[in-house]
Amino acid sequence: MKSLEEFQSFYQSDLTKTLNELELERKRAVKLVPLVVLGIIGLIGGVVGFMSGIMPLLFIILAIASLVITIICIVKIVGIKKPMKAKYKEEVIREMIGFLSEDLNYSPSGFISEGEFKRSKIFLKSADRYTGDDLVEGNLGETSVRFSELKTEYYTTNSKGNRTYHILFKGIFFIADFNKHFIGETMVLVDTAESMFGKLGTMLQKMNVSRPKLVKLEDPTFEKEFAVYGTDQVEARYILTPAMMSRIVDFKKKTGKVSLSFLNSNVYIAIDVSKNLFEPPFYKSMLDFELVKEYFNYLVLCVDIVEDLDLNTRIWTKD
Amino acid sequence: MIIGLSVTGFILLVFILIYNSLIGRKNQVENAFSSIDVYLKKRSDLIPSLVGAVKGYMDHEKELLMEITELRSQANAHSEYSNDRIETENKITESIGKVFIAVESYPDLKASENVLMLQRSINEIEAQLSASRRAFNASVTNYNNGVEKFPNSIVASMMSYKRRQVFTLPLAERAQMDQTPEINL
Repeated sequence: MKSLEEFQSFYQSDLTKTLNELELERKRAVKLVPLVVLGIIGLIGGVVGFMSGIMPLLFIILAIASLVITIICIVKIVGIKKPMKAKYKEEVIREMIGFLSEDLNYSPSGFISEGEFKRSKIFLKSADRYTGDDLVEGNLGETSVRFSELKTEYYTTNSKGNRTYHILFKGIFFIADFNKHFIGETMVLVDTAESMFGKLGTMLQKMNVSRPKLVKLEDPTFEKEFAVYGTDQVEARYILTPAMMSRIVDFKKKTGKVSLSFLNSNVYIAIDVSKNLFEPPFYKSMLDFELVKEYFNYLVLCVDIVEDLDLNTRIWTKD
Repeated sequence: MIIGLSVTGFILLVFILIYNSLIGRKNQVENAFSSIDVYLKKRSDLIPSLVGAVKGYMDHEKELLMEITELRSQANAHSEYSNDRIETENKITESIGKVFIAVESYPDLKASENVLMLQRSINEIEAQLSASRRAFNASVTNYNNGVEKFPNSIVASMMSYKRRQVFTLPLAERAQMDQTPEINL
């Protein structure tokens, strides 16, 4: 796997030229922001002045002029930002993915479909708003992988009938073909009940009718972090071997909140990330290495899942 | 009178609940037990194919192959799950391991599609066996908790339910299980 040093030299040799060009564009757009602010102030001032009734003609001219300036500036900013974003994705993110592995394809506007998201059964609620971008797909060794950013939301309605949207899942959704053959369903979910209520939590989990049966495993660290539900007790253990459990615990340490499910011969992994990834910066410099490094680290995290979960070991009957 | 009746009713209800939960736990153990048996049977079915695939090549390991065949018929003779059976099955695991180590010194065999497929199938069954052993142990622990905890223990002793043993592997075999076997494809 590529090291940070290798990435640094790749950054110097392949990315800085594009990033410098993008930085010029960004600066051009950022310069227009104060004009937008002035325009808005002028517009408000003009309207307030017009309402006060003193020199209404002057104020209405001020308001209209400010409005025109604001609109022109916003159109210009959008006109710069759109191709800038496209160029960033095509020439920075795509290059970074190619640097990690030549067998991966990248589609900036693609994302994991809602059907697949639902089929993973990690989330019981269905999404009322579903968007995503930055789809990466391809083969890493023997394993085919797909991942993208997703933002899914559901809404609740209060007594007045107003809708409030809540995040169902935001982050990276990863799908890989699993190295063992299985027919049932196994879900490895974040264990909130047990960590909050202890034994009582386990009882609550057992009574959870919307999930298959609770599977109690032997690894105490794993059990503390995750609640496992499965349609087949033996199959759940066939997938979650002691080695796999410690791999998942280690993976969780790297990522933070993570849930997995094993079904349809695949492993589905939902990694919570609050930030919007793989987007060009606007108020920060394009040449900020830390930001590019952060995106790179997230890509490495996804690509490494295959190694972390040992998915390329194909010694069982599944090819 | 009414108080007496309701107390008796309550005790009866608790008794029925505990009785049923114990039966449930016992059946779960038996069910988990049978899944181990399924995989042992599958493995046993693969042994003749394994011996058939390698015996033409292996001149020096004739004894090892004879031993495996012998162990297989011994294991099949014990239909019940006794300590003898466990011991025989453990010996089979060991002998199969030896056969695959021996395969390494025969390049023709090592490259044979048939042997590779058998090796994959046996790996699969071993992994399934290990999983079903763990599932069995989890059900035994659940059953033992049911039998030993108060007040279940009173009902359990009336039903003459006793604590059961969990499945343990000999140390050498456990070390073998913890490692991922290497196969060069």
